[in-house]
Amino acid sequence: MNTRGKFSAGLLCLGFILALLPLSANWSFTIKPQKLLPKVLDDKTYFTVDQVARFVVSEDTTVQIIDLRSPKEFRAVNIPGSINVPYDKLLNNALGSILSNGNIKNIFYSNSDFDSNYALVIAGGLNYKNIYVMKGGLNEWFNTVMNSSFSGERISARENALFETRTRARKMFTELNSLPDSLKLKFIETKHIASKKLDGGCE
Amino acid sequence: MKVINKYKVIIAVVLPILILVLIRSFGANHFKSDAKRWAEPSVLRSNIITGDQFGTLTGDKLIINLGKAVSGIYNMNIDELNIPADSILSKNHLKTIRKHDGPVLLFSSETAVSSRIWMVLSQMGYQNIFILANDSDNEVLKYKFQPDTLVRPEL
Repeated sequence: MNTRGKFSAGLLCLGFILALLPLSANWSFTIKPQKLLPKVLDDKTYFTVDQVARFVVSEDTTVQIIDLRSPKEFRAVNIPGSINVPYDKLLNNALGSILSNGNIKNIFYSNSDFDSNYALVIAGGLNYKNIYVMKGGLNEWFNTVMNSSFSGERISARENALFETRTRARKMFTELNSLPDSLKLKFIETKHIASKKLDGGCE
Repeated sequence: MKVINKYKVIIAVVLPILILVLIRSFGANHFKSDAKRWAEPSVLRSNIITGDQFGTLTGDKLIINLGKAVSGIYNMNIDELNIPADSILSKNHLKTIRKHDGPVLLFSSETAVSSRIWMVLSQMGYQNIFILANDSDNEVLKYKFQPDTLVRPEL
């Protein structure tokens, strides 16, 4: 066969190979399962609600709290300082813009433990670092922080500190989520802009 | 033989690439492409089976207990395997899951563990895998927030 024939045969084979390759529009995990598994089973990927409450109260700018619920649920109640990235939107490869800062701890939460942990695996599979989950989700937040009370005659210093953090976190949560929706979103936006200015970032 | 000789350069280049692509496409120990597609059941919540729904599943069920807690499904006709989460990806365990002809249910006392393992297995292309959850475990907020209209937050 002449050169043209050989060239055609080569192109045909390459075309067959390309047909098997994934479409560039589809994204997939970039690390191997055996490498991902120990990462996602590491206990250090969890933060308790008390730890998150401490971040909220201190307005820690090295932490980004990501609410994976729907916009409607986020508008109803959310943890002060959190941003809303619905889980189904996250699957449209929205992680890049959210997790781009490698110096920030990113904490996922949802109502329970399903979506937040799915998100953690997805972020881990795409080889993002500094990803965590608030254990128990918003249900645990309500159970621990919002419904926290002290009973007994004596309180240790440690218990006192814990109770104080919970009380302050509860106050911040109540103040934010008691606002009417229109004011709440404006307040959240203004807070985000203020914290970005503090970091030296820009919109 | 003559043909192979004629095209030996093309064959030498294309064949290894073809083999690698076939391994990547059909291999069982890699993540599949199109992660969104494999995560879809988690969006639809069709990957979660509660105790009430257990009986509606057809086929031979296999329960994989990822921890020490008992699944609570006491049925002599259901296979239950104890596989610690950190060894779920061993060859033998994956072979068991792959060869099982029926739904495979992941159970753990911690929803977080079973959710994470589900996502890992789903992304590897394992279908028919479900999370066996307690009836109360789903993505619903169980508490009602009582607003306090007298407070105002500081900026």
